[in-house]
Amino acid sequence: MSSNEEAEIERPPVIQPGHTFMTITDKISAIVLSRRTPLRWLIGFAVAFLLVMLLLWTIARLIFVGIGIWGIDIPVAWGFAISNFVWWIGIGHAGTLISAILLLLHQKWRTSINRFAEAMTLFAVACATLFPLLHLGRPWFFYWLLPYPNTMELWPQFRSPLVWDVFAIFTYFIVSLVFWYIGMIPDLATLRDRARSKLAWMAYGILALGWRGSSRHWKNYETVYLLLAGLATPLVVSVHTIVSFDFSVAIVPGWHSTIFPPYFVAGAMFSGFAMVLTLAIPIRKVYALEDFITMRHLENMGKLLLVAGLIVTYSYLSEGFFAWYGGNQFEQYMELNRMFGSYGYMYWILIAGNVLAPQVFWFQRMRRSVPVLFIASIVVNIGMWTERYVIVVQSLHRDFMPSAWGMYRATLWDYAAFAGSLGLFIALLFLFIRFLPLISMAEMRELLPQAKVEESA
Amino acid sequence: MKRGVRFYGLMAEFDDPQKLLEAAKAARREGYRRMEAYTPFAIEEVSEELGHGRGWIPYIVFAGGLGGAVIGLGMQWYAMAIAYPLNIGGRPLWSWPAFMPITFELAVLGAALLGALGMLALNRLPQPYHPVFNVERFDLATQNRFFLCIEASDPYFDRKQTREFLMSTEPREVFDVEDR
Amino acid sequence: MSRTADNSNSRSEFNRYVLPFLIVGLVALALSFLGALFRPQQFFQSYLFAYVFWIGLVVGSLAVLMMQYLTGGAWGIILRRVLESVTATMPLMILLFVPLLFGLHRLYIWTHSEVVATDPLLQHKKGFLNVPFFIVRAAVYFGCWILFALLLNRWSREQDRTSEPHLAWRLEHLSGPGLFVLAITLSLAMIDWVMSVEPRWYSTIYAVIYTAGDVLAALAFGIGIVLLLARSAPLVYIMKPKHWRDLGNMLLTFVMLWAYCAFSQYLLIWSGNLREEITWYLPRESGGWGWIALALILVHFFLPFLLLLSRQVKERRYLLFTVIISVLVLRFVDIYWFVAPAFSPFHFTVSWLDFLVPIGMGGLWLAYFTRQLTKWPLLPLNDPYAEEALNAEE
Repeated sequence: MSSNEEAEIERPPVIQPGHTFMTITDKISAIVLSRRTPLRWLIGFAVAFLLVMLLLWTIARLIFVGIGIWGIDIPVAWGFAISNFVWWIGIGHAGTLISAILLLLHQKWRTSINRFAEAMTLFAVACATLFPLLHLGRPWFFYWLLPYPNTMELWPQFRSPLVWDVFAIFTYFIVSLVFWYIGMIPDLATLRDRARSKLAWMAYGILALGWRGSSRHWKNYETVYLLLAGLATPLVVSVHTIVSFDFSVAIVPGWHSTIFPPYFVAGAMFSGFAMVLTLAIPIRKVYALEDFITMRHLENMGKLLLVAGLIVTYSYLSEGFFAWYGGNQFEQYMELNRMFGSYGYMYWILIAGNVLAPQVFWFQRMRRSVPVLFIASIVVNIGMWTERYVIVVQSLHRDFMPSAWGMYRATLWDYAAFAGSLGLFIALLFLFIRFLPLISMAEMRELLPQAKVEESA
Repeated sequence: MKRGVRFYGLMAEFDDPQKLLEAAKAARREGYRRMEAYTPFAIEEVSEELGHGRGWIPYIVFAGGLGGAVIGLGMQWYAMAIAYPLNIGGRPLWSWPAFMPITFELAVLGAALLGALGMLALNRLPQPYHPVFNVERFDLATQNRFFLCIEASDPYFDRKQTREFLMSTEPREVFDVEDR
Repeated sequence: MSRTADNSNSRSEFNRYVLPFLIVGLVALALSFLGALFRPQQFFQSYLFAYVFWIGLVVGSLAVLMMQYLTGGAWGIILRRVLESVTATMPLMILLFVPLLFGLHRLYIWTHSEVVATDPLLQHKKGFLNVPFFIVRAAVYFGCWILFALLLNRWSREQDRTSEPHLAWRLEHLSGPGLFVLAITLSLAMIDWVMSVEPRWYSTIYAVIYTAGDVLAALAFGIGIVLLLARSAPLVYIMKPKHWRDLGNMLLTFVMLWAYCAFSQYLLIWSGNLREEITWYLPRESGGWGWIALALILVHFFLPFLLLLSRQVKERRYLLFTVIISVLVLRFVDIYWFVAPAFSPFHFTVSWLDFLVPIGMGGLWLAYFTRQLTKWPLLPLNDPYAEEALNAEE
């Protein structure tokens, strides 16, 4: 038994000792129910809001002038917009993975991070959806993508991965929303019962749907929550797989590769886990949530980053090997051009960010160092964005025929749209933190030792 | 018409889940069946004690998934092979491999939506009013207290005896629940 | 601790099977070698197919073993000894690889210098696809695998004896890098041994399909053995419904993962319809092979998928066992469908050697495995996380 205790000491707990049902409830609901809005919140939100204004301005200009304000042209018809789309979707996936897969694996440490990870999913998907919609050229006709009997009796072309995308993203958004909302109902009831203002009482009361926490409620709730987690897991995989089909179904060197589906899914996990860390570290600091988001969480996230980084590394290696092994001159040229061509520097940034940076997490000391985790998470975020850029732009700018070659340079409006989407994401996240419970109170209560019951009598 | 106050049941408040579980067990031994526990988090043992099984939800979810898949595949087959047959790069009209992604997505969508709606329906939610909310301290049921309510409609219910029984299970307090 | 209770009962019960397995294996292998004299080409084809199955099972077990050290959880502790015994058969697998070396010329067209001389593509690959390098690479793969198998087995035994807490740390730290090395070596091995049978074709997900299938086979085999062992001590005291559900869910996950990888490759190649790619699927879709493909979709994916969704199936042992047998049999069929059409494109054939060689190899392997399994206690004794994991709620 002594070895058992030692092992316990080695691993930090998932919740600091000394909490009761009430202290958890107090601490988490106070973030939402305190009357005064913290100044730091206001400043942060103001910055994000300005970026949202920039986004709206870009969108307005895009609608009036056309998508030519971006740097895209033939041959590089997919520039920043599609890189951003893939990047944002990827970030969204980590939220679902954390909350669904870890739930299925009975990983209790997920509890304190799953709620905001799910919120992150929703907001990232919202940002992601924006880009292909704007990229349509005539965004106001987006509904042509939907299957409905229109006047021309025309249907979407269901053999195209771009139409699969519409269904995948739509389903993903709806299911994530349902999963998030269902998971929040008990906490909304807590907020309803603790609300001091009439308005908050009404708002949370409506959202809580009259939840009473009866044991029948809980039974059905738990069953459906588990099943939703079981559904969300393959869904996440399928969504990024379909995103990868957008590329790999096309016969373009650098795109048409059968490993793309798992490779994209791993990349999505990778950037998403990095984003969770980037967000969790400041949030736990600002809201003093160190008791709930403990070193254990951060360390495990470090491990996950390493795992995802290695899977991505495997894909890079496989890409390089098969470019040579396949003996196809276009693939070979593409791979060499990727490393040493016009966008070669981007390739080395992505290698540095995605392959080298996560290697520090082989060491426990690094996994337990908050600054290292924070910096590495940002480096990985950059690396993964670069990876999407390399895949999209570099593969397109050298076509089969040299006469069709070209270069892509992002314009200010490209950067504005990207920065604006970051602002939208942050603004939504701020609103979420202010108005909804950041951590699942019901599940945290369940983690306490007092919550254990014994079947005796 | 003047609406009178109806008596709904008796409710005991407990400090910790263990006491609640034991009270629920005792109540079942006494023969009470129409009762319900209210807790701030899921306690599987209590649900089992009160006889809530796994219920219909897995079947609802499965049906939703199957329905979504059938609709998804059917829609694509109808659109691509019947309603608007179009040769795309020489691929067959019935391009089943290309139809799988949407079929899968709609299966998941159907399963998740039907599952969530099924849960709400089985829990009779949304339900803004319920007699138990009339108990002042019931606000704590979503925070840190555990409640057991024996309903007046139970055949063994007797206002006095049931109150005595509940008092014997070491609650903090026992309340009358009224339906106003 | 009750779980350290003597388990000699189930051990001796298993010991009984060693000799029959050995006899069946030796007889079948002897007959196969006899067959090799008359139909050498067919013999080596069957041998390759059988070898790919059994080595996949062993390397897959190595992967699962490492995974469970990294993730923890009850499932790993339950499966650990079975998987260790599987990986302990690595020396036998190396021995069984040797006969393949005598068939390289019959199996791999890139060993024919006159063919390579007229084919620019094969000339391009000559630096990789040549016999000496092929053998060196195989030696490297086996070197890595036997090292992992040795260390994982030895440290685990040492943990039983000494309960040194440092060993858990060591096992965990071998498993992390080990998995990465395993992924690379297994991928290259599958490219070398199977994909290069058709040396002009390639697919980047090919090795991943094998990896997923091998892990599935390893899990199925491990769970199957646990099912047999769970009738007696010590597992009979340990196994609760939740453990069966967890094991069933893992199986379900890998059934889905295998199908996902296999379908991804199919969809992309079908949709691209390029001459250099689709030529792998066309011979596998017609002349009887198409029925095998359909059977794989229905019985290797849909059947276990639908059955394993149900809680009742996962909790009822005979149902779970039936699913496992079907998964393992279909794993054979899957590999057959990958390997055999390369030699007999567009025409389904199956030879008596295709049955005899896997049975011979399997008999020998099972005898070795069973012997290994009976040597040690069926549950690890001093794992610092075991108690906690086995008694965990939910």
